[in-house]
Amino acid sequence: MSGNAIVEAARKEGRTLLTEVEAKQMLKEAGLDVTDTRLAKDKAGAVALAGELGYPVVLKIVSPDIVHKSDVGGVKLGLADADAVGAAYDEIVAAAKAAVPSANVHGVSVQAMAAPGTEIILGMSKDPQFGPVLMFGLGGVLVEVLKDVAFRIVPLTERDAKQMVREIKGFPVLEGYRGQDPADLAGIEAALLKLSEYVEGHEEIKELDLNPVFAYKDGLAAVDARIVLEDA
Amino acid sequence: MPIDRQRFDRIFNPKTVVVVGAKKATNYSWLRNMLTVKGKLYSVQLDENEIPGIEDLGVTNYKSMAEVPEPIDYVLVAVPRNVTPIILADAIKANAGGVAMFTSGFAETDDDGRALQEKVRGMALEAGMPLIGPNCMGIFSPAAGVRQNEDQYHGESGPVGFIGQSGTHTVYTSTTLNVVHGIKLAKSVSFGNAAVLEAADYLDYFAADPAVEIIGMYIEGVKDGRRFVRSLREAAAKKPVLIWKGGQTEQGARAAASHTASLAAPQAIWDTMIRQAGAIRVDSLDELVDTTAALVRLGEVHGGNGGLMCMTGGESVVITDAFGKQGLNVPRLTQKSYDEFATFFNVIGGSYQNPLDVSYNFGSPDVLRRLMRIMNDDDNVDFVGLEMFVSTMRMTSEKKNATFHEAIAEHAAAPSSKPFFTLVTATSAEREAVDLRRQLTEKGILAFPSFQRAAVAYRKVRDYWQAKRDA
Repeated sequence: MSGNAIVEAARKEGRTLLTEVEAKQMLKEAGLDVTDTRLAKDKAGAVALAGELGYPVVLKIVSPDIVHKSDVGGVKLGLADADAVGAAYDEIVAAAKAAVPSANVHGVSVQAMAAPGTEIILGMSKDPQFGPVLMFGLGGVLVEVLKDVAFRIVPLTERDAKQMVREIKGFPVLEGYRGQDPADLAGIEAALLKLSEYVEGHEEIKELDLNPVFAYKDGLAAVDARIVLEDA
Repeated sequence: MPIDRQRFDRIFNPKTVVVVGAKKATNYSWLRNMLTVKGKLYSVQLDENEIPGIEDLGVTNYKSMAEVPEPIDYVLVAVPRNVTPIILADAIKANAGGVAMFTSGFAETDDDGRALQEKVRGMALEAGMPLIGPNCMGIFSPAAGVRQNEDQYHGESGPVGFIGQSGTHTVYTSTTLNVVHGIKLAKSVSFGNAAVLEAADYLDYFAADPAVEIIGMYIEGVKDGRRFVRSLREAAAKKPVLIWKGGQTEQGARAAASHTASLAAPQAIWDTMIRQAGAIRVDSLDELVDTTAALVRLGEVHGGNGGLMCMTGGESVVITDAFGKQGLNVPRLTQKSYDEFATFFNVIGGSYQNPLDVSYNFGSPDVLRRLMRIMNDDDNVDFVGLEMFVSTMRMTSEKKNATFHEAIAEHAAAPSSKPFFTLVTATSAEREAVDLRRQLTEKGILAFPSFQRAAVAYRKVRDYWQAKRDA
C-alpha cells in the first residue's frame, strides 16, 4: 500500500494511530532506512515470513489500539526457528488480548533481528506557534529519562542538521566513545533532512517517532516507528 | 497587514503629533511625554473641564482631528475604551499617518474588550490605517522628540531599535541602556495587543531601516509563528537581533502519544527557533543592555581568550571563575610578554600572570598604557578586560583619575586594540561606581558592573560572530 492509501484506510477506520507496519511503509517512501517489516495475519503466515526474512527474527503485536507494545507483552526478540516463531505468535496475541480485550488485532509484524548499534531517536511534533519541529536525541527507549535531545523547526538546512546532531550532550558517544564504532553522522544528518522534507509535504502527520534507530558505522536501521495522524 | 513603509516613516518622523484624551487625573502625562516633540503638538479633547489645564501646558486644543490645521502624522489615543472607535474614525477621516492606542481593556480583559478589539481591528484594516496596540505605549523616536515616558531622553539618538510586547520593558530598556552604557535608541515601539500590527511587521521595518544597526526585542508570544520565523531570519541576516523571551508558555502536561511531542516543551522550541534564525537569546534586562552595548562598542570579535587585569589578588581568582563558567579562557601569556613585564613590573603585592594582579603598578597613566599594550599585543589573547576596583580608585585624586580615564579611552579607541572593556565592581561603594561607570561610558568605553555580566555579554557576542562566520 502507498502512503496515501495507508492514510486513507486509517481515516476510513476512524483511527489516527498507524501501526508499526504502516508507519514503516510510509517512512520507507520518505527514503528512510527502516527494517523490512511485514504483517502476518496468522501463525502460518508468521512462520513463512520469518523463513523469507531470515532468522533470528522479531515479532511484535500489530494493533492500532495498542500504543506501547512491550508494556503488554507484545514484543518477542531473537526468535531462532519456526517453532519459536509459532509459540511467540500465540503468546503475543494472547497477552495483547488479555491486556486490552477490546483491541483490534491485525496480527503480528515480522522482521529480521537487526544488529545492535548506538540507539538514537528521530522524531517530529507540531508546535502550536511554529509548526512542525524535528527532534534528534540519544537513548532510544531511554530518551524520556535522559532528555538528551535537540530540536529544529522545519524546514531544516544542512547546517541545522549538522548542528542539532552535535548539540546533544551525548555527542561523544556518536563519535565513537571508548573504542566503540563511531555512528554514521552523515547518514543521520541526511535522514533528518529527508524527514524535514517529508513532513513538510505531509501535513496530515501530527506526530512521528523513529525509535529506536540503530546507528552503525555505515548506515542506520529504524527498528520501530510510530505515526500519529491529525484528526480528520 | 502588509506594512506601508511611507506610513511608518511618517509615524516615526512626525511633523505633527496629536494626543487625544489628555486629562488632569493623570496630570496630562501623555501631553507631558510629548512636550519635547520637535514638530507641532496638538491636543484633541472634548471635555471643557480639561481644556484649561491643557492650554496651561502651552498646547493648542481642538475638538476633533478634522480641525487640526496640519496633516497629522502620529496620534496617541488615551481615551476610555468605549470611545476608541469614534476616535479611530476621526483619525481615519483626518487621514492621519498612524494611530497608537494606549487605552487598555481590550482582548486582554473580557468578552466586551475582545469584541471591541475586533471592531477597531476591522476599521483599521479596512482603512489601511496602521494601528499600534491597543494596550501599548506607542512609539519612541528621540530624534523627533516623541516619547513614551518623561524619563526618556530626546534630541540625540543612537543605533538601536527596540520592539516590545510590554510597555514597561520598552520604556526601561531605552533608559537603562542609556544610563548603564551611554547608548541611545534610534527608535522603539511598544506594540501591546497587536490587533493589527504585530512583532513581525515592526521587525521587517527595522530590518530595512539604515538608522537601526541592532534590534532588541521583548516577546511573550506571537500570533503567526511561521511568519515571525521568516521575518526574524531575514532581519538577523542583516543585523544582530536580540530576543528576550518573557513568560513560560507551559501548557501543562501534554497528552502525547509520541516521545517527540512529550519532550517538545514550548520554551525549548523558542530557544531552538532563536538559535536557528541566527538571533541572540538574552534572559533579562541586564543581559539585553549588556549584550547590546558589547555589540555596539566591540564590533566583530574573534575568539574566547581573555587577557584580564585586576587590582587585587582575590579579584584575579574570581574573575577567572566568572569567565571560565561562560566557556571563555584566561590563557597563559607568551614568554615575550613575561619578559617585558620582568623589566619593570613591581611584583610586591602583585603578579604578572593572567589575570594580571596590577596592585601598586596602577601608579601612572603611562604604566597603565604599557600594561594594556602588553596584554593587547600578546598572541594568546583575543580580548582585554581591565578591572577598576572603586574602593582603590577613590584613594586617588579626581584629577589623577581623569588622566587614567584618558589613557583607557585612548587605548579602547586605538585601531590596533583588540576588543577592550572595563569592569567596574562596586563592592561597598555603589554610588562611586555609578559615577565612575558614567565617566567611562561618556568616553565611549564599555564598562560592565560585574564580572558575570561582562563574561555573559562577551560570550554571547563571541558566539554571535562565530555563528555568522560559520554560516
